[in-house]
Amino acid sequence: MGYRGRHSIPDLGVGVGFRAPHYARVLDGPAPAMDWFEVISENFMVAGGRPLENLARLRERYPVVPHGVSLAIGSVEPLDEDYLRRLRTLVDRLDPPWVSDHLCWGRAPGLHVHDLLPLPYTPEAVELVVERVKRVQGVLERPFALENVSSYMTYRASSMPEMDFLGEIVERADCGLLLDCNNVYVSARNHGLDADAYIDAMPADRVVQLHLAGHTDKGSYVLDTHAGPVCDEVWALYRRAIERIGPVATLIEWDDEIPTWEVLSAEAERARVLRKVLIS
Amino acid sequence: MSDLAKIQRAVLGVLCGPTSLVRLPEAVALADSLVTGNARQSPAMQLDVDREQFVLRHLDVLRDDFRSLEQVLGEDRFELLALSYLANHPPRSFTLRDLGCDLPRFVAATEPWSSDPLLADLARVEWAFVDAFDAPDAPLLEVASIEAIDEESWPLARIAFVPSLQRLALAHPAQDYRLAVRDAARDATVLAALPRPAPNPTYVAVFRGPGRLHCVDLEADAFALLEELARGAPLGQACERVALLSSTSPSAPTSFEEKVGAWFQQWTALGWISTVAVT
Repeated sequence: MGYRGRHSIPDLGVGVGFRAPHYARVLDGPAPAMDWFEVISENFMVAGGRPLENLARLRERYPVVPHGVSLAIGSVEPLDEDYLRRLRTLVDRLDPPWVSDHLCWGRAPGLHVHDLLPLPYTPEAVELVVERVKRVQGVLERPFALENVSSYMTYRASSMPEMDFLGEIVERADCGLLLDCNNVYVSARNHGLDADAYIDAMPADRVVQLHLAGHTDKGSYVLDTHAGPVCDEVWALYRRAIERIGPVATLIEWDDEIPTWEVLSAEAERARVLRKVLIS
Repeated sequence: MSDLAKIQRAVLGVLCGPTSLVRLPEAVALADSLVTGNARQSPAMQLDVDREQFVLRHLDVLRDDFRSLEQVLGEDRFELLALSYLANHPPRSFTLRDLGCDLPRFVAATEPWSSDPLLADLARVEWAFVDAFDAPDAPLLEVASIEAIDEESWPLARIAFVPSLQRLALAHPAQDYRLAVRDAARDATVLAALPRPAPNPTYVAVFRGPGRLHCVDLEADAFALLEELARGAPLGQACERVALLSSTSPSAPTSFEEKVGAWFQQWTALGWISTVAVT
């Protein structure tokens, strides 16, 4: 049985990120049609106040999955135990089917750069991340998924392709994979990679969720801004992923120049319709 | 040190500065040794994408948390302040929410900003709102718990306030100025003509009420009493200390004791008191 089957990972349908400009629309009045929501974990790893009130109200209405940006699982520094405790508290509040963060690094003693820096693709980095994932899963007692990140640099030290690096980690750590189609596109554009081959190389049974987002073309590179609608090339990667993987939870990320709820909902509906056609 | 540790240490060594790596020969050499580059970007240009995002991301957070301070300083001067702050107080917490925690003290202690104490006052008020926003929840005072305290025991009562209550002693009426700046900021001409408040010792409390954050003025004695009680002093001892230093004349129409009674009614009504316990 594959990873999704072993952990009874549900197909939540198509969701969007829970962002402040939409709080009133989502929480007040009749619940708008949306299959599920993703929240940025760190925004709700707080002691009290409005964030937790809003989160509780959201959870009453929809399935909610926490998605972290600060675990920095590939940093050589030991994992932040306080962070893990607070994440566990959040997980206990939400009872999500899985928890996710990024395959990246960004911490050092006395410094947290709040960036999703790519790791060098080396056996040493594989070993480090595999051990860390096991530890995180032990603390959270939930399926944990790693997301492929957008990258703007490639290390001389890398000794394997990114897709092999990611695949080896999720297999050996026995964790899930959050496959971000936009990140595949951005990194492929930046580094001259074959995005289709990347999608095809992913271990399909480990993919618990797909991300879709917009980006910004800066001329000499593409920046993962989560601004604007999903572009045609990323929709094509999504189509390829669904055809290969089957129906898995999909999320539209739109974090910069956040549009109206109606525009965001329409983007989610586009994914929903495409998914339905492909699955049938 | 492992190869991975060496790479991470080297990258972080150049990632947090305000200057493009392409202009720094040492950074260019480092990037050449670590990063491949490609046909469109040199190694330093590749690494510089993440450096630039580091700066922009953290500037955005500081702008959000200290909006009035930015409006008073202007975008360019605020950016100088923010970059100087980041250089001296690099982000340490996993959450960007904590990024500005040291900014009020930094402004108060660092030239040229320290020469204008109004700036530090503004920063303190703005950060108090951040702290109040997501402070831990606490149960509100139950009437039964105070009814159970007999009159003779009240001087021994210790009072715990809700964690969101932030008490500030300021050198200027900075909250009033903050509100005026916020209103004036819609029009650059109006903002430029906005009069600065004269120095005047001011005491305020920022707190989280149902559904929103509030800021209210405090009398100097009320502030002093709140501070004594928050430090854990029993009510009787706290009142004695504050009365001793009070500017309220013994012959004033409202006695200190009457004022304390009125303050307690106000604090209870505003939801500041969490527990009262006689120990």
